[in-house]
Amino acid sequence: MSRQLLTQRTSVSDVVADHQTFRKPKRRNVGLAFIAPFSVLFLFVFIVPIGYSAYISMFQNKLIGGKVFIWFDNYIKLFQDSQFYDGVIRVVLFTAIQVPIMLFSAIALALAIDSLRLHGSRFFRIIVFLPYAIPAIVSTLMWGFMLGIRYGLIGSLNKAAGTSFNPFAPETTMISIGVMVTWGFTGYNMLIFYAALRAVPRELYEAAAIDGATEFQIVRHIKLPALRSSLIVTIIFSIIGTFQLFNEPNILTTLVSNSGITSYYTPNMYAYSLAFTGSQQGYAAALALVMAVFTIAIAYAVQIKGMKNAFNK
Amino acid sequence: MPKKRLRAAAAIAASIVALAGCAGGESTSPNAGVPTDQPITLTVWSWDGTVKEAVPGFEKLHPNITVNVVNAGSSTDEYTALDNAIQAGSGVPDIAMFEYFSLPLFAIPGKLSDLSEFGAKDLAKDYVEAAWGNVTIDGKPYALPSDYGPAAMFYNQSVLTQAGVAAPPTTWDEFYQAAKKVRALGGDHYITNDSADIFVLMSLMWEGGGRPFKVNGTDVTIDFKDAGSSRAVAFWQKLLDEDLVNTKITNWSDDWNRGLNEGTLATQLIGGWFTSTLPERAPQAAGNFRVAPLPQWEAGETSGAENGGSAMAIPAAAQNKAAAYAFLEYFTHGDGLQSRIDAGAFVPNLSNLNNEKFLSATNPFFGDQKYNQVLADASKNVATGWQYPPFFGWARTSYEDVSAPLYDSRQGTLADVLETWKQRSIEYGNEQGFSVR
Repeated sequence: MSRQLLTQRTSVSDVVADHQTFRKPKRRNVGLAFIAPFSVLFLFVFIVPIGYSAYISMFQNKLIGGKVFIWFDNYIKLFQDSQFYDGVIRVVLFTAIQVPIMLFSAIALALAIDSLRLHGSRFFRIIVFLPYAIPAIVSTLMWGFMLGIRYGLIGSLNKAAGTSFNPFAPETTMISIGVMVTWGFTGYNMLIFYAALRAVPRELYEAAAIDGATEFQIVRHIKLPALRSSLIVTIIFSIIGTFQLFNEPNILTTLVSNSGITSYYTPNMYAYSLAFTGSQQGYAAALALVMAVFTIAIAYAVQIKGMKNAFNK
Repeated sequence: MPKKRLRAAAAIAASIVALAGCAGGESTSPNAGVPTDQPITLTVWSWDGTVKEAVPGFEKLHPNITVNVVNAGSSTDEYTALDNAIQAGSGVPDIAMFEYFSLPLFAIPGKLSDLSEFGAKDLAKDYVEAAWGNVTIDGKPYALPSDYGPAAMFYNQSVLTQAGVAAPPTTWDEFYQAAKKVRALGGDHYITNDSADIFVLMSLMWEGGGRPFKVNGTDVTIDFKDAGSSRAVAFWQKLLDEDLVNTKITNWSDDWNRGLNEGTLATQLIGGWFTSTLPERAPQAAGNFRVAPLPQWEAGETSGAENGGSAMAIPAAAQNKAAAYAFLEYFTHGDGLQSRIDAGAFVPNLSNLNNEKFLSATNPFFGDQKYNQVLADASKNVATGWQYPPFFGWARTSYEDVSAPLYDSRQGTLADVLETWKQRSIEYGNEQGFSVR
């Protein structure tokens, strides 16, 4: 192994040395030309917007008095804002509960499809994936009608059973949103897991079968370890997705009343309402940046943790 | 915020149904200073679809002027776009539409032109007093009223009869008695619904003389303890406490449509613009609905309030103000007004509210009642002197937040909610550079 690496390195440095000796100036220009399209895009699509957000986050846009430079006051205010914490705690709790349920279901479905023991697994695969193709707005309307207590499915069930369960009471709304999100994204995650399982060489299964491994042992020792890297990816995607929860609660406010959804229900809704109804763009920018850093930190921690476990194996 | 957008959508819908009528709007000549030799293009931002009806007539009168009517979004969307354009110093429209409560937000920081210089004050006598009051800040007109929402009571006659209420309630006491009788029908029958709609509560305060907001320049006072406001709050609290109002149905929702169709919502306390959207929302209730004035606090009184309405203003940064005013006057007061009325606009111009043909319009949906007569009277009866705080756009979203515990899970009282709302508004207003107490 180490020997192979060593050989490679020598050959690479040989090539580099060649270039350096004979075509030094030209190489530099060509390199720049190659990275130029990317750099320009990167600059305008990533660096400038983030820089601009950071810039406006240091201003307060007063209705009387216009723009005032206030240094980091928006951030100081944000960290004392109980409405902000209310939203953050809500999405963190939501993530902690919904993401494991969704990913566990997705893995179970992927394993089922990959087991080759299902009839119509292709059809099944598409059906499970289909909700992902339905825009959140449409799916929220659909679920809103289904879970509605007055005329929806739950309403009929309540009537039949004589119960008064309300999926959109302040205590239960988040669970209903969890159901919607799980429904929408399980298929997507399942596909990622399924792709990872398909990449496992079939010979491994044969070898395991010859060694007398049971189906359960194959899952435990071959399939699940093969899913590790996709699991990290899906966890990160899911965390980012749930931290940005916006469409579902935002649309529900028009569908049902007394659902407990406030204008600061999630950090994204809060940012939206600050920017567009309170004209506090600077404060909204500060909130967005803090949430971005928070999300990146958690995603990064997940990645580091995942990698560490992978090396420990 | 979506509620807001839907309210704006209702305002658009208000301009769809065509009402028959023709008013001989008196024509003044506001064309002083309008250049006739150079080509001018006016841009109008309006989500009121009737404005474009007035364009051909105006362009005929002024061959050198081209008018572009653009829908730059409704309500908050438009205000944000306008604020951005003003800050950027380019793309500012010549005329923009505002809900009455949002005018101070732009007028007080000096973002709108004072229309006195064009002689707008002379038009005051053509408008119902309260509508003119809406566009006047510190004695200066900053906009011309373009549509109006007198608060009225829409009631389902057959449901009230079924409940044993012979005549529609004319006082709030009668409304309370009627509410109990409707509730006694059982099931989901309620006299009305309320899911923290501040406009309903405010119209009760407004009608009864409550003036919770006082605005003087950048000084704002908020007080829900005056006699008129307290009476409205106590009354509504009583309805909530005795389960006489359905708090589970929010306006504009599917549940709402169904309630209106089935008759489980016997009345609606809402703006007069509801005439245009109710028939399509509640086709099954055709022939059952009627319009009545808002119930009164004392028998025999004829007070009223507003629920909605909008005006058109010229931004201070607009390019062609003289030409803009000529068009503004044309479609809100002059010869262009009739084309908008024909297209369904409900306007607070007395020339129209006193027009026989307009007043005699009927609709089988409302049992051939002369509903415009009721709404015209309601418009003229709107009590004057009401003011909105300049940051009302923010405040009403905040009201939905602070009232949630009361409406969701019966925590606290309406008075507590208003007190919290007041504190939040004071905090926000002061942060925004106003002096709020």
